[in-house]
Amino acid sequence: MSYKFTKEEAAGLFAKLSEKFDIYAPIRFKDAGRYAETDIIKYGKISSFDEGVYNEKSTYPMKEVLSPIQQALFYFTEDEYRESKCSTKPMLVFARPCDINAMKVQAKIYAGNGGFIDMYYERMRERVHYALLECNADDDTCFCVSMGTNTTDDYDAAFRFTDDAILIDAKDSAFEALVKDGKACDFKPEFVKENITKVTLPVIEDKETLNKLKAHPMWEQFNGRCISCGACTIACSTCTCFTTRDIIYGDNQEVGERRRVSASCQVDGFTTVAGGGSYRKTAGDKMRFKMLHKFHDYKARFKDSDMCVGCGRCINRCPELISITETLKKMNAALEEIKKEK
Amino acid sequence: MNHDIFIKKVRLNCFRESKVPGEFLLQMRCPGGMVDADMLDIVKHISKTWGDGNFHFGTRQTFDICRIKYEDIPAVNKYLKQYIEEVEIEECGVNMASIAGEPAEWDPESGYPTIGARNISACIGDYHCVCADVNTFELARKIEPLIFPSHYHIKINISGCPNDCNKAHFCDFGIIGCAKMEYHPERCIGCGLCAKICKSHATRVLQLNEATGKIEKDPCCCVGCGECTRHCPTSAWTRKSTKFYKVIIGGRTGRQTPRAGKMFLNWATEETIIAVLSNWQKFSAWVMDYKPEYLHGGHLIDRAGYKKFKELMLDGVTLNPECLVAEDVYWHETEYRSNYNVKELSTHHHAGPTEEKK
Amino acid sequence: MFNPIQPKPCKILSVKHETELEYTFRVEYDIKPDHGQFLQLSIPMIGEAPISVSEQGDGWLEFTIRNVGKVTSCIFEKKAGDVLFLRGPYGNGWPTEELKGKNVVVIAGGTGVSPVRSLLNYLYKTPGYAKSVNVIAGFKNEQSILFKNDLENWKKSFNATFCLDNEEKEGFRKGMVTTVIKELPLKDWGEDYAVIVVGPPVMMKFVGLELLKCGFDEKKIWMSFERKMSCAVGKCGHCRIDEVYVCLDGPVFPYTTAKNLVD
Repeated sequence: MSYKFTKEEAAGLFAKLSEKFDIYAPIRFKDAGRYAETDIIKYGKISSFDEGVYNEKSTYPMKEVLSPIQQALFYFTEDEYRESKCSTKPMLVFARPCDINAMKVQAKIYAGNGGFIDMYYERMRERVHYALLECNADDDTCFCVSMGTNTTDDYDAAFRFTDDAILIDAKDSAFEALVKDGKACDFKPEFVKENITKVTLPVIEDKETLNKLKAHPMWEQFNGRCISCGACTIACSTCTCFTTRDIIYGDNQEVGERRRVSASCQVDGFTTVAGGGSYRKTAGDKMRFKMLHKFHDYKARFKDSDMCVGCGRCINRCPELISITETLKKMNAALEEIKKEK
Repeated sequence: MNHDIFIKKVRLNCFRESKVPGEFLLQMRCPGGMVDADMLDIVKHISKTWGDGNFHFGTRQTFDICRIKYEDIPAVNKYLKQYIEEVEIEECGVNMASIAGEPAEWDPESGYPTIGARNISACIGDYHCVCADVNTFELARKIEPLIFPSHYHIKINISGCPNDCNKAHFCDFGIIGCAKMEYHPERCIGCGLCAKICKSHATRVLQLNEATGKIEKDPCCCVGCGECTRHCPTSAWTRKSTKFYKVIIGGRTGRQTPRAGKMFLNWATEETIIAVLSNWQKFSAWVMDYKPEYLHGGHLIDRAGYKKFKELMLDGVTLNPECLVAEDVYWHETEYRSNYNVKELSTHHHAGPTEEKK
Repeated sequence: MFNPIQPKPCKILSVKHETELEYTFRVEYDIKPDHGQFLQLSIPMIGEAPISVSEQGDGWLEFTIRNVGKVTSCIFEKKAGDVLFLRGPYGNGWPTEELKGKNVVVIAGGTGVSPVRSLLNYLYKTPGYAKSVNVIAGFKNEQSILFKNDLENWKKSFNATFCLDNEEKEGFRKGMVTTVIKELPLKDWGEDYAVIVVGPPVMMKFVGLELLKCGFDEKKIWMSFERKMSCAVGKCGHCRIDEVYVCLDGPVFPYTTAKNLVD
């Protein structure tokens, strides 16, 4: 059933939802962008609907709610230690279909790979309920339709914020109980049907082709273009990599923590082993590693999908204007060449 | 050709004499170096009608048109009316019927009333540039009414960031946009790129602490360029919304004592800059004993001495709390001639009203 | 909820100085790993390091650690009675079943001897498990020789050749381990053999090439990969190559897989 709340009723609705949920949404941070007088939009807990940004793609992905850039794993005090704690209150997270689908991609790694379930991810995932946001897909960096991530049914309710009302289509019955005071209406969420940008996914038939693609000169151009800053992977909806780091608090050697901090395969040091050895030293090697993980390796391991939801944030955030969709085209062209050679 | 022209008067009208007697170069002000491209039609019309059909970018971002005949100046001035109205009055809010803040007659068809205050130049600033911290031409437009029209000379250059492409260090009153950075350690992945960039592009105030994976900063020496923010992959560095400026005074070129300017203010806000520059006419008048002559602002500071300059320029100004002020300034001039300043006492210049001399 | 990265404080039972840079720590631990598996050793507030098990016994494991980093240098300050934090074992270990009844070749270089030590000692204590055991172990110089007692035992029971890269010493051959491979009686073994290789990346590369040159079947060779392993449970991504997670699917790979794992 769908319900409508007027602007005046919004505060009451928010209060009611807050009783059950911590509510997360994209929030605008004015002038916090890379360049002067540009903003960023990143996820955070909101205390009123007005704080959220619902009609614009966030700079940083929704994954930060479940797996923040930094989180404590253990706290150490003298010779004792304990696991970091976490609220058990359910979270209502406003998210677009691409971001919701990205969580399925991440879960394969965090909550499954090798038979290990990451407790820190899982305890957050158990709290999460999605409030679906419709997507306007007015940005030519988006290619969710090509990735099959433009729709989802993994949400409690769909929301539409209009100038004078909030429209809610409650899918989950427990959620519906919270919004049934609203005026009945016929709102149904709409999904993106077509993007300006479409991609063809590369088909890598066998190991031999894979290794030929790895050795293809197409990657060399990135040695001059990519600065290996890792902004693409931080902005990525699906990237999961992290580093574990122990720290001591200030000058007290007896207290500290073990924490998890996001890491990037693009940044030097990602593969450095004790003793100093490292792999994939050039920007081209790193870019190749990332692209192949997104469009081959992940699928080769987990079968169902590629490791990209077509959100385009990596394109938006790249300071060197490297486009993942154009890079895909180059991969496809390289594969054609390899095929012909055979 | 037989000419009888009061050159100084024509120069005050922003027409500069040529090596060809009777020909003049018009300098059209363009505060902050930014105008609607429609203005180019006016520039073109003047050049094609009264000039030689060419156009030169003035070194201070004026539109310069050469070879205007002395006889044509009244017609050019009449035609300039629209340009002055749009650029000076509408964009900058200049009171054309004033000189140095005092009411003065001005005929809108008589062209520019003064040449003393030079065009405020600016880099493109954050309107376009990836490095910039501030909008430069908007600031120029706010400053324009404070210094123009006036017979007191001042050259103001505005740079959008401490890279100082527009050479705030080589003018009387240079303004450099900068930013205060905010560090969000919870977003920092310890990649160290900011520290690397700060070392290669700025003042190496950042260091990656390998033990914590976080950045340590020596805040005193941060130049406020924003390179850390520009390069950070996670937005762990962000600019504070308030925009800040450095003021560099007394820089100059010239045949006698060229020098790079020195910092007068650091971390001044726009309000502070506006308040300080509002004292410029008063300061200049005091130094020159209320009799404007062709002398650039930096020389006025020399005559008054930095401490007097500071006293008069900060008079009645409430500095923003972050603002730091130079206690003293030690110039370093190019010594084209050694002991340039050592000469007969009677030839020394005097600053301030004559009554005070007694 | 079970937390797979939760370490457990464990008591150090003894510390043996193998070389100046390599100590063997015997630590209380009640889970028995497979030969060739590794554990995450940590010191709170310093960090974690993946260390392979070099020997195991009832209620204890041994780790032979090379002092090359922040964590290992802190471990080196620990004494018997002190506590180390452990979690694991992780990884796949050596294909012990594949070795049964075979002519087993173990080629190890430097610190690479420690992940095969428990396997070799098992073969030493279990005569008849393998048809024959052939050990080629190389060290840089006299100072870096590890497990002297074990080497003695292996020499007694196995066809063992020990090398020093650049030094003369009694009982050791001067030169690289690669030079010994051609002397293995491959002809006599037919299809009945298995080869294990572990050591620095360069050594493994050249050993691999030499084995193929000498006619060894790539399907009968296993190699242990060294990659940055941080979480050890397939989450952090540091050790991944293609669709393979070295911490989960390795560190031991059949040569047929290993040769295609291009970084």
